[in-house]
Amino acid sequence: MRTSSLKDRLAAAGAVFRERHGTEVVSRFADPRAECGAVRDAVGLTDFSFVRVYSLPEEKGIDFLDARLAGNVPKIRFGRVLHTFLADREGYLAADCYVANNDREFIFICESILPDGGLDALLAAGAGESAVEDLTANHVVLSLDGFKSWEVVKKVFGPDVLGLPYLSIENHTFEGEPVRFLRAGKTSEFGYLLIAPVKVAPSLFDILNSEIQQRGGRLCGVDAHDNLRLEGRFFNIHAEGLRVRDPLPLGLQWMIDFDKENFSGCAAIKQRRAGGLKKKIVGIEAAPGCDALKDGARIFHEDREVAEIVASGRSFVLNQPLALALFPVELAYSGLQFRLGAPGGPVVKSISMPPIMPKSLTVKLDEM
Amino acid sequence: MQTMLKSVGAPAPEQFKQLIARRAQVIKTFKEELIHRLNLPYSPEDLHEDVSLLGSGLGLDSLDALEIVLCIESCFKIKIPDGDIAVLRSINTVVDHVIEQQDRKGGRA
Repeated sequence: MRTSSLKDRLAAAGAVFRERHGTEVVSRFADPRAECGAVRDAVGLTDFSFVRVYSLPEEKGIDFLDARLAGNVPKIRFGRVLHTFLADREGYLAADCYVANNDREFIFICESILPDGGLDALLAAGAGESAVEDLTANHVVLSLDGFKSWEVVKKVFGPDVLGLPYLSIENHTFEGEPVRFLRAGKTSEFGYLLIAPVKVAPSLFDILNSEIQQRGGRLCGVDAHDNLRLEGRFFNIHAEGLRVRDPLPLGLQWMIDFDKENFSGCAAIKQRRAGGLKKKIVGIEAAPGCDALKDGARIFHEDREVAEIVASGRSFVLNQPLALALFPVELAYSGLQFRLGAPGGPVVKSISMPPIMPKSLTVKLDEM
Repeated sequence: MQTMLKSVGAPAPEQFKQLIARRAQVIKTFKEELIHRLNLPYSPEDLHEDVSLLGSGLGLDSLDALEIVLCIESCFKIKIPDGDIAVLRSINTVVDHVIEQQDRKGGRA
């Protein structure tokens, strides 16, 4: 099982670990409510070294990545990041991906639901000379998320980082070592992904941890991120992605360039698209005390079972359970009332997502 | 934003159908106009109603946001308050705002 090079530090800070798709991740440090609250009101620091990171030279990287990914890689402008996915040959999700055009290289970040070996096989298949350099083993990936995350990066890397637009990449240095710096994140608050060499990872982690603590922040685990993604209606490949696998009912068409003639799973996805959408996911809320809104639970309309819960969690902002359910398209609308578990079960309601307004959207950095 | 869910009886089948029909019509109008005005390379069916309009998702910029506001105002004859970006988070949040404003105009609020 792959582990983070920061494992000792994370364990010393109280991390609870678990295995996910052949990789060890930090599940949580404390109460996920406190960790979610830190991201919404201050800042959270999370070890994201479970992702796979690759570097490809620009001239070979374009063809290699474009032949595999659903998005249009040649259209990524210098310094920008594309959010797309990697599918298997049948057009089912394998990885949620960021691709960054970073000067003379492409940085390719994979959050995969396949074990490392499966992802390697999928990347090895198909056209194009790879020249892929796998950075995963000798780099760490740290995610800073939250309303005050910009304060932390400004303190550590200087004020220039504040001008970075969402889905962009820049190169900075820390203790003389290069740090690839992405403005990204899937919590709906300000977010940054830092890709740093293992050599400086402990000292970078320590200084970031110190800075977040001074601002009321916390170390976070992936359980908190599962809730934050659901609450912010960011796609979560480890939740609804894993249960549904088909990008079309999940609403990921925006990640696909349908004009592309080929990418991994292209023919199957286009065939399903041509056949028409049969189901799609819809947000669901339940009363605060309802504990039955769980993955796999069934939703009823009158006496008919009409949908299944494919992702569930809790919004600590709204203090109520939230979920995503897979509905037939004719019922996939928000504002409708259903029953959970049985025709006479608890009332649940389909809702418009995202149901919260993140603090970060109310802040203008250039006015601070 | 929070809705307290009460265990009330299910809406009558006809009322349930009307809710869907009304929402479906607003969504259809908005999606078609959005695709036309912004020249988006998608069919209406490709646009999930929860997809983020700005930033991630469709990745529209501030100029596009202005176009979306004009689109809503001309299609539905309602106003978007200046700086109210909460309305523009997704197609569904736009549709919620349209229905709410239409209800107010019609005295049903």
